[in-house]
Amino acid sequence: MEINLTINGDRRQIECSPHETLRQILRREGFFSVRFGAETGETGADAILLDGRLVSSEIMLAVQADGHAIETVEGLAPGRGLHPIQEAFVTVGAIQSGYSTPAMVLAAKALLDDNPDPTEAEVRDALTGILDRETGYLRPVEAILRAAAVLRGENVDPIESALVRPLTDVDGTADFGAAGPPLDLPLAALRVVPSPEVPETQVVGKPEVKVDALRLVKGNPAFVDDVEMRGMLYAKMLWSPHAHARIMRIDDSKARRLPGVRAVLHHENVARVRFASGGQSYPNPLPYDQVSFDNKVRHVGDRVAVVAADTLEIAAAAVRLIEVEYEVLAAVFDENEAMSDGAPVIHDEPDMEGAYDAARNIVHHIEADVGDVEAGFAEADHVFEQTLRVHQVQQVPIEPHIAIAWLDSDERLVVRTSTQVPFHVRRMLAPLLGLPVRQIRIIKPRIGGGFGVKQEMLIEDIVGHLALVTGRPVRLELTRHEEFVSSRTRHPQTITMKTGVNDDGKLVAQLMRTVGNTGPYGTHGLTVQMVSGLRGLSSYNCPNKRFDCDVVYTNIPVPGAYRGYGAPQALFALEAHLDDVAAALGMDVLEFKRMNWTKVGDPLDMAAELGEGAAEMKLIPVVASCGMEECVAQGQRAIGWHRRIDPDWRQPADRPHIRRGIGFAMCMHGSAISGLDMGGASIKINDDGSFNLLFGATDLGTGADTVLAQIAAEVLGTPVEDIVVYAADTDMTPFDVGAYASSTTYVSGMAVKKAAEEVRRQIAERAALLLDVSTPGDISLRDRQALAPDGRSVSLAEVALHSLHQDQQHQIMATASYVAPESPPPYAAQFAEIEVDIDTGQVTVVSLVMAVDCGVPINPLTSAGQVEGGMIQALGYGHCEEMVYDKAGRMVNARLGPYKIYRSDEVPHIEAYLVQTMEKSGPFGAKAIAEIPKDGVAPAIRNAIANATGARINNIPFTPERVWAALQSTR
Amino acid sequence: MQAVVGYHRPESLEEALSLLNRVSPRSVVLAGGTSLNAAELPEPVEMIDLQAIGLDGIRTDGMVVEIGAMVRLFELTAHQAVPELVRLLARREAPSTFRNAATIGGTIGTGDPDSELLAGCLVYEGQVTVARAGGVVENVALAGLLNDRSKLEGSIITALRIDADGIGAAERTGRTPSDSSIVAAIGRQAPTGGIRLALTGMASTPILVEPAEVAALNPPGDFRGSSEYRLHLARTLTRRVIQQLGG
Repeated sequence: MEINLTINGDRRQIECSPHETLRQILRREGFFSVRFGAETGETGADAILLDGRLVSSEIMLAVQADGHAIETVEGLAPGRGLHPIQEAFVTVGAIQSGYSTPAMVLAAKALLDDNPDPTEAEVRDALTGILDRETGYLRPVEAILRAAAVLRGENVDPIESALVRPLTDVDGTADFGAAGPPLDLPLAALRVVPSPEVPETQVVGKPEVKVDALRLVKGNPAFVDDVEMRGMLYAKMLWSPHAHARIMRIDDSKARRLPGVRAVLHHENVARVRFASGGQSYPNPLPYDQVSFDNKVRHVGDRVAVVAADTLEIAAAAVRLIEVEYEVLAAVFDENEAMSDGAPVIHDEPDMEGAYDAARNIVHHIEADVGDVEAGFAEADHVFEQTLRVHQVQQVPIEPHIAIAWLDSDERLVVRTSTQVPFHVRRMLAPLLGLPVRQIRIIKPRIGGGFGVKQEMLIEDIVGHLALVTGRPVRLELTRHEEFVSSRTRHPQTITMKTGVNDDGKLVAQLMRTVGNTGPYGTHGLTVQMVSGLRGLSSYNCPNKRFDCDVVYTNIPVPGAYRGYGAPQALFALEAHLDDVAAALGMDVLEFKRMNWTKVGDPLDMAAELGEGAAEMKLIPVVASCGMEECVAQGQRAIGWHRRIDPDWRQPADRPHIRRGIGFAMCMHGSAISGLDMGGASIKINDDGSFNLLFGATDLGTGADTVLAQIAAEVLGTPVEDIVVYAADTDMTPFDVGAYASSTTYVSGMAVKKAAEEVRRQIAERAALLLDVSTPGDISLRDRQALAPDGRSVSLAEVALHSLHQDQQHQIMATASYVAPESPPPYAAQFAEIEVDIDTGQVTVVSLVMAVDCGVPINPLTSAGQVEGGMIQALGYGHCEEMVYDKAGRMVNARLGPYKIYRSDEVPHIEAYLVQTMEKSGPFGAKAIAEIPKDGVAPAIRNAIANATGARINNIPFTPERVWAALQSTR
Repeated sequence: MQAVVGYHRPESLEEALSLLNRVSPRSVVLAGGTSLNAAELPEPVEMIDLQAIGLDGIRTDGMVVEIGAMVRLFELTAHQAVPELVRLLARREAPSTFRNAATIGGTIGTGDPDSELLAGCLVYEGQVTVARAGGVVENVALAGLLNDRSKLEGSIITALRIDADGIGAAERTGRTPSDSSIVAAIGRQAPTGGIRLALTGMASTPILVEPAEVAALNPPGDFRGSSEYRLHLARTLTRRVIQQLGG
């Protein structure tokens, strides 16, 4: 049928079918800013204005919109330039991945057109239709309030760090509790606690605007799906309805006969090549327990077959015509049951190898020791033990997995994919597709969130197979339902903590026994659990430590990498356990933990046992920078820690069914994997003195491209706008392991710094020639100039033109790579204030404060965003997110809503403090920040509940009925 | 949504009813679409879009508020004639995007057991005007309609009428402040005396219930709340609502 839509003022007559959504039509008309998030519309990435109101275009038929007016962000500021709302989003640091930014901008426009002076609550209400997994909503709300002010003609302040006076003395100690009332700063203040050891810099350490902000805020084509390819086919998967079954027969004949179907693939026509899908360095850890299409299925949602067809509708219809006969097998979902006698064997295939004991479903067994824990327990004054369980949650990136594969004109395979690991994907695809690496190119454009779920070769082999078989471009995008059950999740674990401690509070022995549930495929099973051991036993000094771990196969949807990577699990257990130990000893928990936590000079003994790279060397790293004391001092002041001992505060007289509490958790993480993670960077100069910066590092919206550009700009004496970044293209950029292990700033940043230093040297040589200076080492770079000691200067443009065109012609350029010999830990103090309704069990989180020592934040705006968004994502882990299954292993809540993630109008008060320390091994003093915000929220809330009610709960999430049941048993 | 094989936008109620009551092809009423377009439809259907029929508008005579079936939830949140509690519940019913599209008629037709808005309409004596083929128009109590959806077959909801007066109160428990409630108790101090009480999360639809009968309910449970817990919540939240209303 034909419909009439006025889009951004332009009347169009459009052909469409009744079933097509408005989003599909808008994208077909070229409006790529309108994006897919969920087939049921909750994410709002698809939101547009219909007659001036924000609606989801995903759950509106195009025909419903016939005769109406539609606005998308493309209409806001056509051509170059930005609307004031867009300007505000850019300036305030409200854009991370940018996937949903167009929708937020439209929400702002609709609100401000109607109400030029909204309250914060009204702004948050307008944003309720847009789910954000990245920012915690703080800076988007701030952006809209700022835009409102600008549109009213008011002045607004530039964005600057708000320097907060340190609370530690010269000797590095602080008196917790003596600092007075919380600071009165604006909600979106950029709180930086400076260290005097950190030198002055021009660009590093400044809240620079993101280098990709423009394309994101304007909704310009940027993401995988924002391309049109002639003749592109659409792939649709057939997934297993059973948790465990053999495929006895597949009949694809009816599917093949459907007009428009171009390929149907499954185990009968795809080579059986074993691999492990986790995106990791060569060689991937064993076992290689997956194949592209198997003759067995091992979880509900496991791969069975795929169809490529001319349209998505035809592909879906063809999938329904594939007949499969299964022999259903018994399934097991619990990690402890899976190891017991009689449990079904999940990997019983004859070519299975590399598992520790496949017959008992044990993939890996890990042991690591320092000293002698049994002797430690024997000598300790007290021994405490408890068992905790952490559950399964999903990363929920707003952009699901999507990949498009095609053969280029040289008939090399190109895959444009939403991935965190382009180089690993290329290497891993080669044997699966029977192509050499040189015949494969992986391109990573902008990504709408990853959080580890995209640290995987997840669907690229499927589109690769299909592109090779059909000779046409092939696109596969997971639906939101499929993203839940057929991608990756966090590893659930059962954790037993046992601690030996003396009367004075000194730790004598620590044992952590973990059973990790890795679902039916090993992917990251070994390394996540190793990190659990590392993080669970590194925060505190203790002469005797032991980690004992089994990683177990079950039939749940597959756990993989998820931000934090074993640390959130371990630190939940550790920080809850030690809170209980402190209480049992009658000690103040801050003092107890301070007495034992690692400080500058302390050894990281577990790193020598469990660190992935350095383990062979058995070198024991030592803490070189640690701001933990300052972090706790700032955090406890900000949260009002002293209130927790006041019984009148805990039990407010005017609300008899409410109890209040404050909890604390200490966090520690790593900065990349020493001896393993490598990144490379290339820089070349252009005629105007600008530079192209090329690296393999993989910005998923975190701002990595910007941080690396700042590092280069600092060395080269230019503003960031003179650095043109291109990244994560395996043909064009140097290698990088990719975005994981919090490695980009610390490792890739150092590669960029070294490359820039070599370029600087070459510039200085040419400048010395031009300025007739005998020692090029005396030339310095500043403000786009190369300066001689006597003040004479020549511009970088002149240096470039001279060297490219005029004399002794030479392309000033350099490449460098870096692998770190150490992994200096960032530290953080996480505080939570909560309220519990003791009659219903409902927990309301009132405030979250995290003070983080990430060394020197290269960009405090993006760093703060990592903390704010990370805390809200971590809040979901502890508070309300869970994957729920029926007895047959089918997820019952694979939809946003039943699977609850926080939205804009319900987030607690959040505050991030960036506590500077000078980490000399990092570029300009930097350590990592990406994952540590995930580590402390769940235990801090757990400990707050204990403070409020006395109930010490050993499993998450803290949903109302669970808390209510715990309160019942405490009474 | 591949199942949508046809679309109509009738301009009169008669035309809509006539399309809806065709023996074939199977047709369904399309209001805002926030539920229908998110659903997996088992067989091919044609959509009968009601947006051009004129079922808009909120009118009051001071005693009763009449709300056209196609009134969007966002309009309910702002209209002064609508009782304050119902305005609040309309805002909480859905996020901004859905509120701007979803209709009161569609909300009634969907009958979500967790709908606090429907519970609010129940305690404000909701009456639904239902139009059937052949010019038949019926007023049905909202409670009866929610309990027996077969009354809607071949019919179109045209309006909802609720009382304009009486103080309301709501108590709810959910995983987070804006989560769909596990159980909510919605109450109203009826001007004639006594308390009207409705509960969500206790049956397949929101239900009117006498406070004294709450303890005897036997709700189905799910992962957010077992039967035992839901009953506990119902009793606790009912007590609080009654207390709020001064009972």
